[in-house]
Amino acid sequence: MRGFLEYVPGSSLLHRMNPVTKLACSLLAIFACFLANSLVFLAAVLVVDYVLAARCKLLPQTLGLSKAVASFSLMLAIIALLTTPEGTPIVGLPWGYIGTGSLRAMALVVLRLLACAIPLFLTFYVTKVNDISNALVKVCHVPYRYAFVFTSTVRFIPVFMNDMEGIMEAQTARGVEFDGGLIKRLRLMAPLCVPLLVSSVRKTNSAAIAAEVRGFSLRTRESGHKRYPFAPLDAITFAACVALLVAGVVL
Amino acid sequence: MIELQNVTFRYREGTAPTINDVSLLIPDGQFVGVTGAAGSGKSTLTHTLNGIVPHCYPGDFYGKVLICGSDTVDTSLTDISRMVGSVCQDVDSQMVSTVVEDEMLFGLENFGVSHDEIDARVDEALAAMGISDLRERTIAGLSGGQRQKVAVAEILALHPAVLVLDEPTAELDPVSSRSVFAQLKEYATQRGTTVVVVEQKIALLGEYADRILVLKNGAILLDGAPSEVLGHADTLLAEGINCPRSTTLVERLRRRGLHEGRAARTVDEAVDVVREVLA
Repeated sequence: MRGFLEYVPGSSLLHRMNPVTKLACSLLAIFACFLANSLVFLAAVLVVDYVLAARCKLLPQTLGLSKAVASFSLMLAIIALLTTPEGTPIVGLPWGYIGTGSLRAMALVVLRLLACAIPLFLTFYVTKVNDISNALVKVCHVPYRYAFVFTSTVRFIPVFMNDMEGIMEAQTARGVEFDGGLIKRLRLMAPLCVPLLVSSVRKTNSAAIAAEVRGFSLRTRESGHKRYPFAPLDAITFAACVALLVAGVVL
Repeated sequence: MIELQNVTFRYREGTAPTINDVSLLIPDGQFVGVTGAAGSGKSTLTHTLNGIVPHCYPGDFYGKVLICGSDTVDTSLTDISRMVGSVCQDVDSQMVSTVVEDEMLFGLENFGVSHDEIDARVDEALAAMGISDLRERTIAGLSGGQRQKVAVAEILALHPAVLVLDEPTAELDPVSSRSVFAQLKEYATQRGTTVVVVEQKIALLGEYADRILVLKNGAILLDGAPSEVLGHADTLLAEGINCPRSTTLVERLRRRGLHEGRAARTVDEAVDVVREVLA
């Protein structure tokens, strides 16, 4: 099953870049989006995000992600709409009003979350998670233990999602109807968290033993076979992202 | 050399010992097949060989397991794993990476295999399992059988002195199962690797193993060369182990006094016996 945050092979520029550069640039882009207060700036970042996704042939996945992030951000956007009484009043509320500034705040929340989520997700889709952790160990001197925890967490996300799907299918076969509203689904899914938790703990324990019997505790910073040199493209991209951060602060 | 001296192990939550007073001597380069009914202690036996018992699973451990002269109780799990390569029953839990190549590299990198040698080892192990084309594939996109081959390949790449495999062909088709066993046999005969493999397909063990152990309630019920063990068809059947049809045929001929030789391990051997009887 090809799943969430799972590497998609390819040969695009983003695929070929150094994993550390990709991660650093994603973080710079996130900071830039959170610091920026301009709708035009955020919309421009979003357009760049989609262009990059298209270049990596990941547009369908990115649009899927956008839909999920937009749904989540809509809740935050509604809160922003109702709690930001700014600009020309449009509708009166008992505790204030909805104005043109409220609409702008709402749009800012949605655009900001979309624009900053996509670079990080793209990084995971175009980089093998082992390359990220190995590069962090080799280049940034992150202890391997922490890098391995990160790798395992990302690796287990699709595994646990698959397990949950399996448990739900088994329950459906026994007559449980998961169709219906969100509350009903959550109520039916809550008891399933127990078997999922049990199988997760079991799998995590087995994975830890399997890693141990393959010399996990012998690993050092020099153990990694692959090398992660920086190329001119990495320097140019990093400089561009620093400029983006500056623009985010200024705008 | 592997030596088990009166080994008994009871899991902390268990009431009866899962392994009960087992003594064994396995010389270097021997290919040993372990079989038995569910719950007979096969997997636990492999865990005593690779040090998972007693290092990872709590319980009462008695006796002594010596791997290449080292007592597994006094030797750290990491040092045991330098000698023993293990393939778990649940191969999914063995995987630590998302891509086949990274999975192959994990053990080699950890054990400090020279960087000049790593690529050749990966190529060789993938080719041995017939999965060179899967090198760049994501593990989640592989079938159960392909994942099982990756799990075996990554351990073969480590060139351990002892290979312990728990049902390595459970998800493989008959052709792939034979190919995996042929590779294991080659490692045993040509490299002197000691191979201990838990397997339910008795026909495979009969054909490739030098020795078969049949477990019952944590103790050794039968221990001997395949032709000798397969000769106990009734005992095996009582344990829920069906002998291969070729073995059963030759056994019937023996019972009717038409053949006095040993039990047939393979179809070819059975054909020879039938020809001899008909002549």
